[in-house]
Amino acid sequence: MTESMIWWSVAIYLVIAIAIAILARQGKMANMSGYFLGDRKMGGFVSAMSYSATTYSAFMMVGLAGLTYKGGVGALGFEIIYFAGVSLVAIFGPKFWAVGKKFGFVTPSEMLGHRYGDKKVSMAVAISSCIFLIPYAAVQLAGVGYLLQGATEGAIPFTTGVVLATVVAIFFSYIAGIRSVMWTDSLQAIMMIIASTLVAWLVIQGLGGFHALFDTLAEEKPQSLVVPGPGLFSFVTFLGLTIPWFFFSLSNPQVSQRLFMPSSLSAMRRMLMGFLVFGLIYTLVSVLWGFSALAAYPDLAQADLATATLLGSEHVPPVLGAIVLIGIMAAAISTIDSIMLTLSSMLARDVYANMKDGRDDGKQLLLGKIVIPIIAILAFGFAELQLDLIAVLSVAASSGLVAVVPATIGAFYWKRGTAAGALTSVVGTTLIVLLMYATGNKFLGLPAGIWGIIVATVLYVGVSLATRPQTERAEAFLDASTKY
Amino acid sequence: MQRSKWIWLVWAVVVLCYLVPYTVLSDVHAWYGSVLFWTLAGVAVIAINLYITKDFEGR
Repeated sequence: MTESMIWWSVAIYLVIAIAIAILARQGKMANMSGYFLGDRKMGGFVSAMSYSATTYSAFMMVGLAGLTYKGGVGALGFEIIYFAGVSLVAIFGPKFWAVGKKFGFVTPSEMLGHRYGDKKVSMAVAISSCIFLIPYAAVQLAGVGYLLQGATEGAIPFTTGVVLATVVAIFFSYIAGIRSVMWTDSLQAIMMIIASTLVAWLVIQGLGGFHALFDTLAEEKPQSLVVPGPGLFSFVTFLGLTIPWFFFSLSNPQVSQRLFMPSSLSAMRRMLMGFLVFGLIYTLVSVLWGFSALAAYPDLAQADLATATLLGSEHVPPVLGAIVLIGIMAAAISTIDSIMLTLSSMLARDVYANMKDGRDDGKQLLLGKIVIPIIAILAFGFAELQLDLIAVLSVAASSGLVAVVPATIGAFYWKRGTAAGALTSVVGTTLIVLLMYATGNKFLGLPAGIWGIIVATVLYVGVSLATRPQTERAEAFLDASTKY
Repeated sequence: MQRSKWIWLVWAVVVLCYLVPYTVLSDVHAWYGSVLFWTLAGVAVIAINLYITKDFEGR
C-alpha cells in the first residue's frame, strides 16, 4: 500500500460521502427535532446501519483486534456480552419512543429531567456525558491517526490523520444534522462490513484456512483460545470491562437518543435486528483479524498494531487494504460525528435552555450548531495527547456513563425514584469514577467498571427512599411509556 | 405470557457467557471451546430478539 494509493482512496471516499451528505438535506431542519432527530421519521434500514456505524467505531477493527492479539478469546466474550446488552433496546426502545413522541423529548437527559421534575437532573446528565464522551471521541480520532501512520510507516503522520478525521466529522454533522450523519453512516457501515469480511477471508485463506489458523494457535499460542488465557482477562478484569459495556445502549446518549428517531416500531425492530446481524458478523471478523495477526506475526511491539500489520501484509491486495483503511477511518468518523451531534443537542437543550427562561427552540438550535466545532476541537486536543491503549480508554468512558443507568431504568419501572436520588446518583458516580481513574482504578481489588454501577444503584435507591417522590408525575410518565 | 418476558432468556445467556468459558471450557485449547461457545451465544441472542420484537410489526 503506497502513500499515494491511500490519499487517492481518502479523496474518493470524501467525494462520495460529501455527495451523500448533501443529498441527505431534506425536510425542515429549522428546529431542534428536525436537525437532531430527523423529525422522528427515520426508516428502519438507515437507522440500523447508522446505529451500527455509530456503535462500532475504530475500536473494533483496531482495538478489538488488538485486544484479541494481546488477551486471546476473552476479547470475543467481552464483545458478545456487550452485544447481548443491546437487547435492552427490545425492552426500553418502545418506551423511549412512546414518551419521546408524547412529550417531544429531543435528548435522553431531557427525558430524565421531565420524569423526575427537576431541570438539574437534565443538566447533570448532560455535563456528565460530556466529561466522558469527549475523551471517548478523542480515542476514535487517535485511532485514525495511529492507523494511517501505521499503514504508511509514518509517511502520513499521526497529526495529519487526526486533523483529517476532525474536519470531516464536523462537516458531516453540519451539513444536514442527523440526516447527513445517518446517511453517511449507512455508506460507511456497508463499506466497513464488506471490506473487513473480505480481508478476514483472504487472510485466513493465506494462512492455510480456518483449521490451519486454529491449529497454529492451539500449538503455538494455546492460551489465546481460553480464558483467563495469557493473563489480560482475569475474571475480575473481564467483569470490569463487560459490565459497563453491557449497559452501553442505555448509558451512551449518542445511541439512546436514536430510540426517539424511528418512524414506527416496525422501523425500530429493523434497526435492532439489522444492528444485531451486523454486530455479530463484525465482531467475529474483528476477532478473527486479531487471531490471524497473532498466528502470522506473534512478535509485534504493540498489540494495537495488529490490524495495520495485517493490512500491510502480502495476504491482502493493496487496493483492498486501502479500502479497509478508509473503512476504519469512516468507522471512527461515524462515531465521532454522532457523539458531537448528541452532545451539542444536550448542551443546547439541557444546559443552555435550562439556565435562563426564554431560550426557545430557535436559540437552542443556534447554540447547538455553535457548540459542535468546540466539542470537536476539545476532542482533537485529547487525541493529540496520544494516550496509550485505545480499548482501555474507551472503557473508562463507559464506566463513567453507567452513572445514568439506574435513574433511566428507574424512570420506567420505579415510581418511588426521586429527583434527589437521580441527581445524587449521576453526580456521585461521575465523581467516584473520575477519582478512581485518577488514583489507579482499583478499590478493594475491583475496578471502576464494577464500582460505577454499584455506587450509582445504591445512591439512586438510597436517596430516593429518603426523599419524597412526585407520584403523579411519575404515574403520567409511566402511563405514557406503555402506550405504543 | 408477554413476549417481553423472554428477555430473561437473554439475561440467562449472559450469565452463561460468564460461567461456562471460565469453568468448563478453560482447558479446551481449540476453536470448539470458548470461541464456538461465545459465537453460539451471539446467535442465540439474535434469535431471542427476533421473537421478542415480533409484536413491533405494524405499529
